[in-house]
Amino acid sequence: MNFSKEVFPMNRPNNRPFNKKMQEKLVVLFLLVLLAFVGLSIKLISITRDNGERYKKQVLSQQQYESTIIPYKRGDILDSKGNKLATSEKVYNLIIDSKLMLRKEESLDATMSALSSCFPGFPESEIRSYVNNNPASQYYVALKQLTYDDIAGFIDLQNDTANNPDIAGVWFEEEYKRVYPNNTLACDVIGFTGKDNVGSYGLEQFYNDTLNGTNGREYGYLSEGETLERTVVSPVDGYNIVTTIDGNIQQIIEKYLYEFNEQYKNGARPGGNGANNVGCIIMDVNSGEILGMGSYPNYNLNDPRNTDALIGSRYVNDKGLIEYEANCITEENKAELLTDDAVTYQQLNYLWKNFCITNTYEPGSVAKPFTVAAGLESGKMSGNEYYTCNGQLHVADHDIKCHNYKIGGDGTLSVQEAIEQSCNVALMLMGRQIGKTTFLEYQEKFNFGYKTNIDLSGESRTATLVFNSNNMGETELATSTFGQGYNVTMIQMITAFSSLVNGGYYYEPHVVKRITAADGSTVRNISPRVLKQTVSAATSAKIIQYCNGVVVNGTGKTARPAGYAIGGKTGTAETVPRDKKNYVVSFMGYAPADNPQIAIYVVVDRPNVVFQDDAKYATRIVRSILTEVLPYLNIYMTEELSDKEREELDNLDITIKSSNMSEEEEEGEGEETENGEDGEVINANGGDITSSTAPTAEEMQSDDVLTAPLTGTLLNTETGAPLVEDTDNGPE
Amino acid sequence: MVRNRFEKTKGYVDYTLVFIILLLLGFGLIMVYSTSSYSASMSSTLHNNPAFYLNKQAFATVFGLGAMAVVALFPYHFWRRFAGAGYVVSVVLILLVLTPLGYEANGARRWLNLGISVQPAEIAKLAMILFLANLVCQLGNKIRTRNGFLLVLLSPAPICLMVWGITQNLSSAIIIFMIGYIMLFVASPEYRRFILITVAAIALAALVVVIIVHLADSGTLGYRGQRIRTWIDPEADATGKGFQTLQALYAIGSGGVFGKGIGQSTQKLGFLPEAQNDMIFSIICEELGLFGGICIIILFLLMLWRLMIIANNAPDEFGGLLVVGVMGHIAVQVILNVAVVTNVIPNTGISLPFISYGGSSVMFLLIEMGLVFSVARSITFTED
Repeated sequence: MNFSKEVFPMNRPNNRPFNKKMQEKLVVLFLLVLLAFVGLSIKLISITRDNGERYKKQVLSQQQYESTIIPYKRGDILDSKGNKLATSEKVYNLIIDSKLMLRKEESLDATMSALSSCFPGFPESEIRSYVNNNPASQYYVALKQLTYDDIAGFIDLQNDTANNPDIAGVWFEEEYKRVYPNNTLACDVIGFTGKDNVGSYGLEQFYNDTLNGTNGREYGYLSEGETLERTVVSPVDGYNIVTTIDGNIQQIIEKYLYEFNEQYKNGARPGGNGANNVGCIIMDVNSGEILGMGSYPNYNLNDPRNTDALIGSRYVNDKGLIEYEANCITEENKAELLTDDAVTYQQLNYLWKNFCITNTYEPGSVAKPFTVAAGLESGKMSGNEYYTCNGQLHVADHDIKCHNYKIGGDGTLSVQEAIEQSCNVALMLMGRQIGKTTFLEYQEKFNFGYKTNIDLSGESRTATLVFNSNNMGETELATSTFGQGYNVTMIQMITAFSSLVNGGYYYEPHVVKRITAADGSTVRNISPRVLKQTVSAATSAKIIQYCNGVVVNGTGKTARPAGYAIGGKTGTAETVPRDKKNYVVSFMGYAPADNPQIAIYVVVDRPNVVFQDDAKYATRIVRSILTEVLPYLNIYMTEELSDKEREELDNLDITIKSSNMSEEEEEGEGEETENGEDGEVINANGGDITSSTAPTAEEMQSDDVLTAPLTGTLLNTETGAPLVEDTDNGPE
Repeated sequence: MVRNRFEKTKGYVDYTLVFIILLLLGFGLIMVYSTSSYSASMSSTLHNNPAFYLNKQAFATVFGLGAMAVVALFPYHFWRRFAGAGYVVSVVLILLVLTPLGYEANGARRWLNLGISVQPAEIAKLAMILFLANLVCQLGNKIRTRNGFLLVLLSPAPICLMVWGITQNLSSAIIIFMIGYIMLFVASPEYRRFILITVAAIALAALVVVIIVHLADSGTLGYRGQRIRTWIDPEADATGKGFQTLQALYAIGSGGVFGKGIGQSTQKLGFLPEAQNDMIFSIICEELGLFGGICIIILFLLMLWRLMIIANNAPDEFGGLLVVGVMGHIAVQVILNVAVVTNVIPNTGISLPFISYGGSSVMFLLIEMGLVFSVARSITFTED
């Protein structure tokens, strides 16, 4: 022991050794530490021995091995050019975990203030009281369907743990939301999808299973070693469907349907739309592909339950039929009329239906080419016949009048002239030539009474709405020749008409041409399908010739777009009851005239005007639509343009109004004969439409005579609505 | 343990200690990665980089090893002249925490931003070892006197109170005080006083606990009182204050004898707060079982044994006391850390030396080891 006394050794090394006593105490210290270590080891062992099993279970029980669903993405609906008509976007639900949020005292306030600052309109007091009242809750949906941009701010705050250490108990659950980028565009064709990925109406319903995928799952399970294994089964996204709908054509169609509505709304029926319904289909005649299909009124697919879309519609009763006694739905009476959900849904269900495939109506004179085709194809007619019309024809016990009854009839007409002038008498005479059996045989060939099986949900079944050999008498045959007495859907008509003008090939109409997987690979191509040959090429050529005449010489002049030659047939059908006030006017045509590529069919169901029986309500829409669609389809002009037409075309893009005005001018020049066009058939008073005087005795008489046979079993006599029967809403 | 008598040789390197240090550091890095990779990959502020904590820790470790080598090459007497200055610097650095240089993290203001982030408490531990070693040497035999004894016993107190009061870091304050107490224990030939002090301290602590347990209204207890209640019955407040302690116990208990395997912990997946830090020992037990946990304890024991050998062979009292200080530091932290995770003492934040995540901690520990190697290098061997 060398205890040198160095009290101030700052600059000199202290050489005093680490003495024995210190060594001894150090050993004691080491032993004490050893003792502590042994004690702690015993504690460790005892924890494992005494509580090991319990803790093991506890650890396992706090793991989330209940499986979590990873949602799939429902497939997109694309137009033929690949534009998205419907898509699914990832959205986030804000979930509150009260238990986590209350773990630290500061968390509740910190989290609430962060949430309030990041989400405008966050119901802070409500959530705060929920958290306090349900401290054990771990799943409460506070906000729904937020976009990533909405939540990005909060996620940044949450991740910035240095500055916001107390944010806790909030997480985001992913799901997909159906989004329709074009809102109302092609609403009837597309249909809509709720949160549960169940499609309603249109493609969304028909292709529901194709569009849907399979949910993925993340789940945990205990392996043999009682360790938790996690497995993720990835979701399988749904298939995309590529439609034949061309977004541009669809837009053109809807633009002019809307324009029509703007022009005629609030007319004879105060507050009402331009027509009960106005629909348009454009079809590729050589494939059955639907290029565009639309109707007005429409609705916003992103907000289908918004009752504002009902404004202007007519009130629909609990049978799903229009209540003709009731007023139109307006801004003012909306609250009053829509008394409860059931009533509201009556209206909405009617609105959501696709007019072009669901509503049925009597076609009127657009049926005349079919009658002629039946006669020519069956050999009952040669095409060289001449018919004499002196204003009416006595059938069975009735006198059925032609539209120009007043001026003494059309005189002697060739087959072509009969079509051009839409002469009912000539057609009835043809009907006699053809005979009931052959006529019905051809009705069936043209698929009237059968579904077209278009790939859209909601096509009506019309089997009971057409005549058969049991209920077709002489009168029914006569009226059927010009399209009254039986019911059709628009899609039936245009599909059959396409076969008349394409050489006789009846294509199954379709809207989807390709199904692709999420990675873009093609799953299935849907190619055009010829179902049958309705007429021969020769008959087809004759029908084209006659229908071209309609536009050149006859009732369809106003349907012709400037610079083009087209063919077609007008229709002005009376509705039930035969009150001579309500009409369905239409034009069914094709272009170009010499080699039809597309067919177009516009139906205006009871235009909102005093005198509805004028096919120009439809032909003008056709003209406007074709004026834009034909150049878009690269179909070249073949006809010379007059100066006026050139000017019109130049002005087309400037304002819609000016183009309307010029159209009116042209009409002024047009023939008067167009005005009472097409015979509304039956009922006698052809040509009387403009007269507002009291009905003459003659008229009264003919009314008596004629209403009866037509209202037989086929039409809804209560309302006279275009019948909607047996609508098959299920996807096929 | 007696002094070895070998031929005089200088430049002794204790390879056993080197090996233990490297083993602990390497194992620590593995465990830091194992415990932190999940939470780091979940955090977008860390760019979802699972190796974020590992990278930082590896950098600090390499830097610390460099510092250790440099310090080891310096004769340890060089540092003796800074003993007083170190004390003052500690005080100044702790006060600097109150200035804008200090910054807050994880809810406590105990860091300094001096280019790199430093915890003054870590510096204070090193400074206290140096200061007390020097003080004891200066006192010489006066340490046997009551005044000498009290001087050594209480000289760490101002620093401890500042660490506790200013940086709200009770655990570091306790560690610093315990380092001093252990150095005094070794330096003083006494036993009686130590037994008395220890018994008195335990009795006082027991009294406090009894009072807290019998206080009916837990609202008046405050923060530390709550912790003591939680310590006695962690399951009473399993989702609140007792959460971390319970989760640590669950981790240890669920590991069994040989554990779930490295990387297989489920508790680190967001259940156990501070898994890579103060609670890393419980994850070691979960993944490697009792076996792994006790192996780590044995490694620390081996390290302390080597430190004891070096201290006992130190060429002079100053060197020996430096090593005793380092030994005390490591022993106290290991014991308290393991005691916390096993709920032997109330929960307080103490990291496991060389293994827990924390750059300051590992760097200063390695500097302390550098001092130890420096002392070891000066050992003179005499032939048997």
